[in-house]
Amino acid sequence: MSGLRVIVGCKRVIDYAVKIRVKPDKLGVVTDGVKHSMNPFDEIAVEEAVRMKEKKLASEIIAVSCGPTQCQETLRTAMAMGADKSIHVEVDAATYENLQPLHVAKILAKVAQDEKADIVFTGKQAIDDDCNQTGQMVAALLDWPQATFASKVEKANGDLTVTREIDGGLETIKVKLPAVLTADLRLNEPRYATLPNIMKAKKKPMAKKKPADYGVDVAPRQSILKVEDPPVRQAGSKLDSVETLVGKLKDAGLVPS
Amino acid sequence: MRVSPLWRAAAGGLNEAFLRCLVGQHTRLSQDHLTPELALHLITPACHLWHSTVENSPLDDPFWAFYWPGGQALTRYILDNPKLFHGKTVLDVGSGCGSAAIAAVSVGASEAVANDIDPVAEIAIKMNMEKNGVIVKPDTRNYLASKSTQLQDTSKIDIILIGDMFYDPNFAHLISNWLQSIHPSSMVLIGDPGRHSFKQHPLHSSLKLLHRYKLKKTSQLENNGLTEAGVWMFNRLHKV
Repeated sequence: MSGLRVIVGCKRVIDYAVKIRVKPDKLGVVTDGVKHSMNPFDEIAVEEAVRMKEKKLASEIIAVSCGPTQCQETLRTAMAMGADKSIHVEVDAATYENLQPLHVAKILAKVAQDEKADIVFTGKQAIDDDCNQTGQMVAALLDWPQATFASKVEKANGDLTVTREIDGGLETIKVKLPAVLTADLRLNEPRYATLPNIMKAKKKPMAKKKPADYGVDVAPRQSILKVEDPPVRQAGSKLDSVETLVGKLKDAGLVPS
Repeated sequence: MRVSPLWRAAAGGLNEAFLRCLVGQHTRLSQDHLTPELALHLITPACHLWHSTVENSPLDDPFWAFYWPGGQALTRYILDNPKLFHGKTVLDVGSGCGSAAIAAVSVGASEAVANDIDPVAEIAIKMNMEKNGVIVKPDTRNYLASKSTQLQDTSKIDIILIGDMFYDPNFAHLISNWLQSIHPSSMVLIGDPGRHSFKQHPLHSSLKLLHRYKLKKTSQLENNGLTEAGVWMFNRLHKV
Protein backbone atom coordinates (compact mmCIF):
# COMPACT_ATOMS: atom_id res chain seq x y z
CA MET A 1 0.00 0.00 0.00
CA SER A 2 2.75 2.38 -0.86
CA GLY A 3 1.95 5.84 -2.10
CA LEU A 4 -0.46 7.03 0.57
CA ARG A 5 -1.36 10.69 0.34
CA VAL A 6 -1.40 12.32 3.73
CA ILE A 7 -3.03 15.62 4.71
CA VAL A 8 -1.69 17.09 7.94
CA GLY A 9 -3.58 19.81 9.80
CA CYS A 10 -1.16 22.36 11.28
CA LYS A 11 -2.57 24.94 13.67
CA ARG A 12 -0.64 28.04 14.60
CA VAL A 13 -1.00 28.56 18.34
CA ILE A 14 0.58 30.67 21.07
CA ASP A 15 3.89 29.02 21.89
CA TYR A 16 3.66 26.52 24.74
CA ALA A 17 6.27 28.41 26.77
CA VAL A 18 4.43 31.76 26.69
CA LYS A 19 2.52 32.99 29.76
CA ILE A 20 -1.07 33.47 28.59
CA ARG A 21 -2.84 36.74 29.41
CA VAL A 22 -6.61 37.20 29.23
CA LYS A 23 -7.81 40.28 27.32
CA PRO A 24 -9.48 43.01 29.41
CA ASP A 25 -12.87 42.31 27.77
CA LYS A 26 -12.56 38.68 28.96
CA LEU A 27 -13.60 37.38 25.53
CA GLY A 28 -10.24 35.96 24.53
CA VAL A 29 -6.51 36.00 25.19
CA VAL A 30 -3.84 38.46 24.12
CA THR A 31 -2.24 37.30 20.88
CA ASP A 32 -0.61 40.51 19.58
CA GLY A 33 3.18 40.52 19.88
CA VAL A 34 3.12 37.04 21.40
CA LYS A 35 5.37 34.24 20.14
CA HIS A 36 3.45 31.64 18.16
CA SER A 37 4.49 28.25 16.85
CA MET A 38 2.98 25.07 15.48
CA ASN A 39 0.63 23.25 17.85
CA PRO A 40 2.95 20.62 19.41
CA PHE A 41 0.51 17.75 18.72
CA ASP A 42 0.30 18.80 15.07
CA GLU A 43 4.09 18.80 14.98
CA ILE A 44 3.95 15.18 16.13
CA ALA A 45 1.45 14.46 13.33
CA VAL A 46 3.79 16.05 10.74
CA GLU A 47 6.73 14.05 12.10
CA GLU A 48 4.79 10.79 11.86
CA ALA A 49 3.74 11.58 8.29
CA VAL A 50 7.37 12.29 7.35
CA ARG A 51 8.48 9.01 8.95
CA MET A 52 5.78 7.23 6.92
CA LYS A 53 7.25 8.86 3.82
CA GLU A 54 10.76 7.81 4.79
CA LYS A 55 9.48 4.25 5.25
CA LYS A 56 7.97 4.57 1.74
CA LEU A 57 4.50 4.12 3.18
CA ALA A 58 3.45 7.62 2.17
CA SER A 59 4.19 9.28 -1.16
CA GLU A 60 3.06 12.82 -0.55
CA ILE A 61 2.47 14.99 2.51
CA ILE A 62 0.31 18.07 2.25
CA ALA A 63 0.29 20.47 5.21
CA VAL A 64 -2.84 22.59 5.68
CA SER A 65 -3.34 25.56 7.98
CA CYS A 66 -6.39 27.81 8.41
CA GLY A 67 -5.91 31.32 9.75
CA PRO A 68 -4.22 34.68 9.18
CA THR A 69 -1.15 35.29 6.98
CA GLN A 70 1.25 34.28 9.77
CA CYS A 71 0.04 30.68 9.38
CA GLN A 72 2.38 30.55 6.40
CA GLU A 73 5.31 30.43 8.84
CA THR A 74 3.73 27.36 10.43
CA LEU A 75 3.39 25.76 7.01
CA ARG A 76 7.02 26.57 6.17
CA THR A 77 7.99 24.76 9.37
CA ALA A 78 5.92 21.75 8.31
CA MET A 79 7.63 21.76 4.90
CA ALA A 80 11.07 22.13 6.53
CA MET A 81 10.18 19.03 8.54
CA GLY A 82 9.46 17.20 5.29
CA ALA A 83 5.96 18.01 4.00
CA ASP A 84 5.99 18.21 0.18
CA LYS A 85 3.61 21.10 -0.28
CA SER A 86 1.12 23.12 1.68
CA ILE A 87 -2.21 24.88 1.48
CA HIS A 88 -2.88 28.08 3.38
CA VAL A 89 -6.59 28.68 3.85
CA GLU A 90 -6.62 32.34 4.71
CA VAL A 91 -9.03 33.53 7.37
CA ASP A 92 -8.64 37.17 8.47
CA ALA A 93 -7.69 37.87 12.07
CA ALA A 94 -11.17 39.05 13.13
CA THR A 95 -12.96 36.02 11.67
CA TYR A 96 -10.23 33.74 13.00
CA GLU A 97 -11.10 34.68 16.58
CA ASN A 98 -14.39 32.86 16.10
CA LEU A 99 -13.18 30.09 13.83
CA GLN A 100 -14.25 26.79 15.36
CA PRO A 101 -13.27 23.15 15.00
CA LEU A 102 -16.32 22.46 12.82
CA HIS A 103 -15.18 25.05 10.27
CA VAL A 104 -11.65 23.69 10.17
CA ALA A 105 -12.96 20.13 9.98
CA LYS A 106 -15.17 21.02 6.99
CA ILE A 107 -12.20 22.63 5.25
CA LEU A 108 -9.89 19.67 5.97
CA ALA A 109 -12.56 17.24 4.77
CA LYS A 110 -12.90 19.17 1.52
CA VAL A 111 -9.12 19.36 1.03
CA ALA A 112 -8.92 15.60 1.67
CA GLN A 113 -11.45 14.98 -1.10
CA ASP A 114 -9.81 17.42 -3.53
CA GLU A 115 -6.36 15.96 -2.92
CA LYS A 116 -7.61 12.35 -2.95
CA ALA A 117 -6.01 11.83 0.45
CA ASP A 118 -5.75 8.44 2.12
CA ILE A 119 -5.04 9.82 5.58
CA VAL A 120 -6.00 13.02 7.38
CA PHE A 121 -3.61 13.44 10.29
CA THR A 122 -4.01 16.07 13.01
CA GLY A 123 -2.82 16.59 16.55
CA LYS A 124 -5.20 15.14 19.16
CA GLN A 125 -6.01 18.69 20.25
CA ALA A 126 -4.65 22.23 20.04
CA ILE A 127 -2.98 23.57 23.13
CA ASP A 128 -4.82 26.89 22.91
CA ASP A 129 -8.53 25.97 22.94
CA ASP A 130 -8.07 22.31 23.99
CA CYS A 131 -11.13 21.40 21.92
CA ASN A 132 -10.09 17.92 20.81
CA GLN A 133 -12.78 17.92 18.12
CA THR A 134 -11.30 18.57 14.69
CA GLY A 135 -10.02 15.08 13.84
CA GLN A 136 -13.21 13.43 15.03
CA MET A 137 -15.36 15.86 13.07
CA VAL A 138 -13.34 15.28 9.88
CA ALA A 139 -13.94 11.54 10.29
CA ALA A 140 -17.67 12.13 10.72
CA LEU A 141 -17.91 14.50 7.75
CA LEU A 142 -16.06 12.10 5.45
CA ASP A 143 -17.59 8.98 7.00
CA TRP A 144 -14.08 7.58 7.45
CA PRO A 145 -12.83 5.43 10.32
CA GLN A 146 -10.79 7.23 12.96
CA ALA A 147 -7.89 6.31 15.20
CA THR A 148 -7.50 9.07 17.77
CA PHE A 149 -4.82 9.58 20.45
CA ALA A 150 -2.40 7.47 18.44
CA SER A 151 0.87 6.49 20.13
CA LYS A 152 1.97 4.04 17.44
CA VAL A 153 1.02 3.67 13.78
CA GLU A 154 1.97 0.58 11.77
CA LYS A 155 0.95 -0.76 8.41
CA ALA A 156 -0.86 -4.07 8.25
CA ASN A 157 -1.55 -5.19 4.69
CA GLY A 158 -4.05 -2.71 3.34
CA ASP A 159 -4.94 -1.38 6.78
CA LEU A 160 -3.29 0.48 9.62
CA THR A 161 -2.74 -0.91 13.10
CA VAL A 162 -2.91 1.96 15.56
CA THR A 163 -2.09 1.87 19.25
CA ARG A 164 -4.21 4.39 21.17
CA GLU A 165 -3.61 5.97 24.53
CA ILE A 166 -6.66 5.35 26.68
CA ASP A 167 -7.38 5.82 30.36
CA GLY A 168 -4.96 3.64 32.28
CA GLY A 169 -3.55 1.77 29.29
CA LEU A 170 -3.30 1.21 25.59
CA GLU A 171 -5.76 0.00 23.01
CA THR A 172 -4.70 -1.44 19.65
CA ILE A 173 -7.13 -1.14 16.78
CA LYS A 174 -7.14 -1.84 13.07
CA VAL A 175 -8.53 0.78 10.71
CA LYS A 176 -9.22 0.58 7.02
CA LEU A 177 -8.02 3.33 4.73
CA PRO A 178 -8.87 6.08 4.08
CA ALA A 179 -8.82 7.10 7.72
CA VAL A 180 -8.41 9.98 10.12
CA LEU A 181 -5.59 9.80 12.67
CA THR A 182 -4.87 12.10 15.59
CA ALA A 183 -1.49 12.17 17.28
CA ASP A 184 -0.88 11.82 21.01
CA LEU A 185 2.23 12.96 22.86
CA ARG A 186 4.12 9.66 22.87
CA LEU A 187 3.77 8.90 19.15
CA ASN A 188 7.24 10.31 18.38
CA GLU A 189 9.64 13.12 19.11
CA PRO A 190 9.51 15.67 16.30
CA ARG A 191 12.77 16.67 14.58
CA TYR A 192 14.12 20.20 14.59
CA ALA A 193 14.27 21.89 11.23
CA THR A 194 17.89 22.65 10.29
CA LEU A 195 19.13 25.40 7.94
CA PRO A 196 19.28 23.24 4.80
CA ASN A 197 15.72 22.08 5.36
CA ILE A 198 14.45 25.58 6.13
CA MET A 199 16.14 26.95 3.00
CA LYS A 200 14.71 24.26 0.78
CA ALA A 201 11.26 24.63 2.36
CA LYS A 202 11.15 28.24 1.16
CA LYS A 203 10.98 26.87 -2.38
CA LYS A 204 8.27 24.29 -1.82
CA PRO A 205 4.83 25.10 -3.25
CA MET A 206 2.25 26.80 -1.03
CA ALA A 207 -1.26 27.26 -2.42
CA LYS A 208 -3.38 30.12 -1.09
CA LYS A 209 -7.08 29.50 -0.66
CA LYS A 210 -10.12 30.92 1.13
CA PRO A 211 -12.82 29.00 3.06
CA ALA A 212 -15.26 30.04 0.30
CA ASP A 213 -13.12 28.12 -2.23
CA TYR A 214 -14.15 25.00 -0.33
CA GLY A 215 -17.73 26.17 0.05
CA VAL A 216 -17.35 26.47 3.81
CA ASP A 217 -19.36 29.09 5.71
CA VAL A 218 -17.24 30.26 8.62
CA ALA A 219 -20.02 32.02 10.55
CA PRO A 220 -19.56 31.08 14.22
CA ARG A 221 -21.81 28.35 15.64
CA GLN A 222 -20.94 29.14 19.23
CA SER A 223 -20.28 32.41 20.99
CA ILE A 224 -17.68 32.87 23.67
CA LEU A 225 -19.32 34.22 26.83
CA LYS A 226 -16.31 34.50 29.08
CA VAL A 227 -12.62 33.64 29.27
CA GLU A 228 -11.09 33.68 32.74
CA ASP A 229 -7.67 33.31 34.30
CA PRO A 230 -7.28 30.40 36.66
CA PRO A 231 -7.83 31.56 40.27
CA VAL A 232 -4.76 33.25 41.75
CA ARG A 233 -3.12 31.13 44.42
CA GLN A 234 -3.23 32.67 47.89
CA ALA A 235 0.13 33.59 49.36
CA GLY A 236 1.42 31.31 52.11
CA SER A 237 3.19 32.29 55.32
CA LYS A 238 6.25 31.09 57.14
CA LEU A 239 5.88 29.80 60.71
CA ASP A 240 8.67 29.44 63.23
CA SER A 241 7.54 26.29 65.07
CA VAL A 242 5.50 23.11 64.76
CA GLU A 243 3.30 24.29 67.67
CA THR A 244 2.25 27.41 65.76
CA LEU A 245 1.50 25.27 62.69
CA VAL A 246 -0.69 22.86 64.67
CA GLY A 247 -2.44 25.86 66.27
CA LYS A 248 -3.13 27.37 62.83
CA LEU A 249 -4.42 24.07 61.45
CA LYS A 250 -6.74 23.69 64.44
CA ASP A 251 -8.00 27.26 64.04
CA ALA A 252 -8.74 26.58 60.40
CA GLY A 253 -10.61 23.41 61.38
CA LEU A 254 -8.30 21.26 59.25
CA VAL A 255 -7.36 18.92 62.09
CA PRO A 256 -9.55 17.94 65.06
CA SER A 257 -8.97 20.21 68.09
CA MET B 1 24.68 39.42 13.12
CA ARG B 2 23.89 39.47 9.40
CA VAL B 3 26.74 40.71 7.22
CA SER B 4 25.12 40.30 3.83
CA PRO B 5 25.81 43.86 2.61
CA LEU B 6 29.45 43.20 3.34
CA TRP B 7 29.67 40.15 1.18
CA ARG B 8 27.53 41.76 -1.47
CA ALA B 9 30.18 44.46 -1.77
CA ALA B 10 32.83 41.80 -1.76
CA ALA B 11 30.97 39.74 -4.33
CA GLY B 12 31.17 42.68 -6.69
CA GLY B 13 34.70 41.50 -7.31
CA LEU B 14 36.25 43.69 -4.64
CA ASN B 15 37.53 40.97 -2.47
CA GLU B 16 37.64 37.35 -3.52
CA ALA B 17 39.95 36.64 -0.62
CA PHE B 18 37.27 37.74 1.83
CA LEU B 19 34.70 35.38 0.29
CA ARG B 20 37.21 32.54 0.33
CA CYS B 21 37.68 33.13 4.06
CA LEU B 22 33.92 33.22 4.60
CA VAL B 23 33.39 29.96 2.72
CA GLY B 24 36.34 28.35 4.49
CA GLN B 25 35.16 29.51 7.90
CA HIS B 26 31.57 28.32 7.58
CA THR B 27 32.08 24.99 5.82
CA ARG B 28 33.94 21.73 6.31
CA LEU B 29 35.60 19.63 3.63
CA SER B 30 33.16 16.76 3.37
CA GLN B 31 33.37 13.33 1.76
CA ASP B 32 30.28 12.07 3.53
CA HIS B 33 28.09 11.80 0.45
CA LEU B 34 27.50 9.61 -2.62
CA THR B 35 30.77 10.75 -4.24
CA PRO B 36 33.46 10.36 -1.55
CA GLU B 37 36.09 10.66 -4.32
CA LEU B 38 35.39 14.39 -4.21
CA ALA B 39 36.12 16.51 -1.13
CA LEU B 40 33.74 19.46 -1.12
CA HIS B 41 33.32 22.57 1.01
CA LEU B 42 29.90 22.01 2.58
CA ILE B 43 27.90 23.08 5.62
CA THR B 44 27.73 19.83 7.61
CA PRO B 45 26.08 18.96 10.95
CA ALA B 46 29.44 19.85 12.52
CA CYS B 47 29.16 23.49 11.36
CA HIS B 48 27.33 26.00 13.50
CA LEU B 49 25.36 27.31 10.50
CA TRP B 50 23.70 23.90 10.19
CA HIS B 51 21.70 24.80 13.29
CA SER B 52 21.27 28.45 12.40
CA THR B 53 18.09 30.18 11.30
CA VAL B 54 17.95 31.76 7.85
CA GLU B 55 17.98 35.22 9.50
CA ASN B 56 21.19 34.51 11.40
CA SER B 57 23.15 33.15 8.46
CA PRO B 58 25.89 35.48 7.23
CA LEU B 59 25.61 33.74 3.86
CA ASP B 60 22.53 34.64 1.87
CA ASP B 61 20.76 31.36 0.96
CA PRO B 62 23.95 29.27 0.67
CA PHE B 63 22.41 26.67 -1.63
CA TRP B 64 25.91 25.83 -2.87
CA ALA B 65 26.89 24.80 0.67
CA PHE B 66 24.63 21.76 0.59
CA TYR B 67 25.21 18.81 -1.68
CA TRP B 68 21.71 18.43 -3.08
CA PRO B 69 20.60 14.81 -3.48
CA GLY B 70 19.81 15.25 -7.18
CA GLY B 71 23.32 16.64 -7.69
CA GLN B 72 24.83 13.75 -5.73
CA ALA B 73 23.07 11.18 -7.90
CA LEU B 74 24.08 12.98 -11.08
CA THR B 75 27.72 13.29 -9.97
CA ARG B 76 27.78 9.61 -8.94
CA TYR B 77 26.44 8.71 -12.38
CA ILE B 78 29.19 10.76 -14.07
CA LEU B 79 31.93 9.10 -12.02
CA ASP B 80 30.48 5.65 -12.81
CA ASN B 81 30.16 6.33 -16.56
CA PRO B 82 33.44 7.97 -17.64
CA LYS B 83 33.11 6.81 -21.27
CA LEU B 84 30.01 8.92 -21.74
CA PHE B 85 31.95 12.07 -20.83
CA HIS B 86 35.32 11.42 -22.42
CA GLY B 87 36.32 14.40 -24.61
CA LYS B 88 32.90 15.99 -24.25
CA THR B 89 31.97 19.59 -23.47
CA VAL B 90 29.68 19.88 -20.48
CA LEU B 91 27.43 22.59 -19.05
CA ASP B 92 26.34 22.15 -15.43
CA VAL B 93 23.34 24.44 -14.88
CA GLY B 94 22.73 25.48 -11.27
CA SER B 95 26.07 24.01 -10.39
CA GLY B 96 26.00 24.87 -6.65
CA CYS B 97 29.15 23.37 -5.16
CA GLY B 98 30.32 22.48 -8.70
CA SER B 99 30.44 18.73 -8.07
CA ALA B 100 28.96 17.58 -11.40
CA ALA B 101 31.27 19.80 -13.48
CA ILE B 102 34.27 18.75 -11.39
CA ALA B 103 33.35 15.07 -11.79
CA ALA B 104 32.91 15.48 -15.55
CA VAL B 105 36.41 16.92 -15.98
CA SER B 106 37.92 14.36 -13.65
CA VAL B 107 36.56 11.51 -15.83
CA GLY B 108 37.86 13.09 -19.03
CA ALA B 109 35.47 15.77 -20.28
CA SER B 110 37.38 18.28 -22.42
CA GLU B 111 35.66 21.25 -20.79
CA ALA B 112 33.02 21.84 -18.12
CA VAL B 113 31.22 25.09 -17.37
CA ALA B 114 29.95 25.30 -13.79
CA ASN B 115 27.07 27.74 -14.02
CA ASP B 116 25.54 29.27 -10.90
CA ILE B 117 24.19 32.80 -10.56
CA ASP B 118 25.28 33.09 -6.90
CA PRO B 119 28.66 34.91 -6.77
CA VAL B 120 29.54 33.09 -3.54
CA ALA B 121 28.89 29.78 -5.30
CA GLU B 122 31.46 30.85 -7.90
CA ILE B 123 34.06 31.13 -5.14
CA ALA B 124 33.04 27.81 -3.61
CA ILE B 125 33.26 26.15 -7.05
CA LYS B 126 36.80 27.51 -7.47
CA MET B 127 37.81 26.28 -4.03
CA ASN B 128 36.28 22.86 -4.69
CA MET B 129 37.93 22.43 -8.11
CA GLU B 130 41.31 23.40 -6.65
CA LYS B 131 40.83 20.90 -3.82
CA ASN B 132 40.08 18.15 -6.34
CA GLY B 133 42.86 19.12 -8.75
CA VAL B 134 40.78 19.84 -11.86
CA ILE B 135 39.87 22.97 -13.78
CA VAL B 136 36.27 23.89 -14.54
CA LYS B 137 34.98 27.21 -15.82
CA PRO B 138 32.75 29.01 -13.31
CA ASP B 139 30.10 31.15 -14.99
CA THR B 140 27.53 33.31 -13.19
CA ARG B 141 25.37 34.23 -16.19
CA ASN B 142 21.70 33.37 -15.96
CA TYR B 143 21.38 30.82 -18.75
CA LEU B 144 17.74 30.08 -18.03
CA ALA B 145 16.74 33.70 -18.61
CA SER B 146 18.83 33.92 -21.78
CA LYS B 147 17.16 34.72 -25.08
CA SER B 148 17.44 32.05 -27.74
CA THR B 149 20.07 34.07 -29.65
CA GLN B 150 22.46 33.57 -26.76
CA LEU B 151 21.55 29.91 -26.72
CA GLN B 152 23.44 29.38 -29.97
CA ASP B 153 26.14 28.52 -27.46
CA THR B 154 24.38 25.31 -26.56
CA SER B 155 25.16 23.82 -30.00
CA LYS B 156 28.73 23.50 -28.80
CA ILE B 157 27.69 21.69 -25.66
CA ASP B 158 27.61 17.91 -25.79
CA ILE B 159 26.06 17.29 -22.40
CA ILE B 160 23.88 19.53 -20.22
CA LEU B 161 23.61 18.60 -16.55
CA ILE B 162 20.69 19.66 -14.36
CA GLY B 163 21.19 18.59 -10.76
CA ASP B 164 18.21 19.05 -8.45
CA MET B 165 16.79 22.16 -10.05
CA PHE B 166 13.14 21.12 -9.79
CA TYR B 167 12.77 22.30 -6.21
CA ASP B 168 10.41 25.14 -7.02
CA PRO B 169 7.35 25.00 -9.35
CA ASN B 170 8.22 28.25 -11.16
CA PHE B 171 11.77 27.13 -11.64
CA ALA B 172 10.64 23.77 -12.96
CA HIS B 173 8.58 25.61 -15.54
CA LEU B 174 11.53 27.82 -16.50
CA ILE B 175 13.80 24.80 -16.99
CA SER B 176 11.31 22.85 -19.07
CA ASN B 177 10.85 25.88 -21.34
CA TRP B 178 14.58 26.28 -21.61
CA LEU B 179 15.01 22.61 -22.51
CA GLN B 180 12.73 23.18 -25.52
CA SER B 181 15.05 25.88 -26.82
CA ILE B 182 18.49 24.30 -26.45
CA HIS B 183 20.28 22.76 -29.39
CA PRO B 184 18.81 19.32 -30.21
CA SER B 185 22.20 17.63 -30.36
CA SER B 186 22.92 18.26 -26.69
CA MET B 187 22.27 15.38 -24.31
CA VAL B 188 20.44 16.39 -21.13
CA LEU B 189 20.87 14.53 -17.83
CA ILE B 190 18.72 15.42 -14.83
CA GLY B 191 19.25 14.43 -11.19
CA ASP B 192 16.30 14.59 -8.79
CA PRO B 193 15.30 13.02 -5.46
CA GLY B 194 11.57 12.92 -6.25
CA ARG B 195 10.69 16.51 -5.46
CA HIS B 196 7.05 17.44 -5.80
CA SER B 197 7.66 19.92 -8.65
CA PHE B 198 9.59 17.25 -10.56
CA LYS B 199 7.15 14.37 -10.14
CA GLN B 200 4.15 16.55 -11.04
CA HIS B 201 5.78 18.19 -14.06
CA PRO B 202 4.53 17.26 -17.56
CA LEU B 203 8.21 17.00 -18.56
CA HIS B 204 8.39 13.84 -16.49
CA SER B 205 6.82 11.81 -19.31
CA SER B 206 9.76 12.72 -21.61
CA LEU B 207 12.36 11.35 -19.22
CA LYS B 208 14.06 7.99 -19.10
CA LEU B 209 15.32 6.78 -15.72
CA LEU B 210 18.98 5.75 -15.96
CA HIS B 211 19.80 4.96 -12.36
CA ARG B 212 18.49 5.32 -8.82
CA TYR B 213 20.68 5.78 -5.74
CA LYS B 214 19.95 5.46 -2.03
CA LEU B 215 20.90 8.60 -0.12
CA LYS B 216 23.34 8.56 2.76
CA LYS B 217 22.04 9.33 6.24
CA THR B 218 23.53 12.87 6.25
CA SER B 219 21.72 13.77 3.04
CA GLN B 220 18.49 12.44 4.45
CA LEU B 221 18.98 14.72 7.46
CA GLU B 222 19.21 17.78 5.26
CA ASN B 223 16.34 16.67 3.06
CA ASN B 224 13.63 15.56 5.45
CA GLY B 225 11.38 12.95 3.90
CA LEU B 226 13.66 12.07 0.96
CA THR B 227 15.53 8.75 0.87
CA GLU B 228 16.75 8.30 -2.70
CA ALA B 229 17.62 10.17 -5.88
CA GLY B 230 17.56 9.28 -9.56
CA VAL B 231 19.24 10.27 -12.81
CA TRP B 232 17.08 10.77 -15.87
CA MET B 233 17.80 11.42 -19.51
CA PHE B 234 15.64 13.96 -21.30
CA ASN B 235 14.23 12.52 -24.49
CA ARG B 236 13.37 15.30 -26.87
CA LEU B 237 11.44 12.97 -29.18
CA HIS B 238 8.54 13.32 -26.77
CA LYS B 239 6.95 16.74 -27.09
CA VAL B 240 6.16 18.26 -23.73
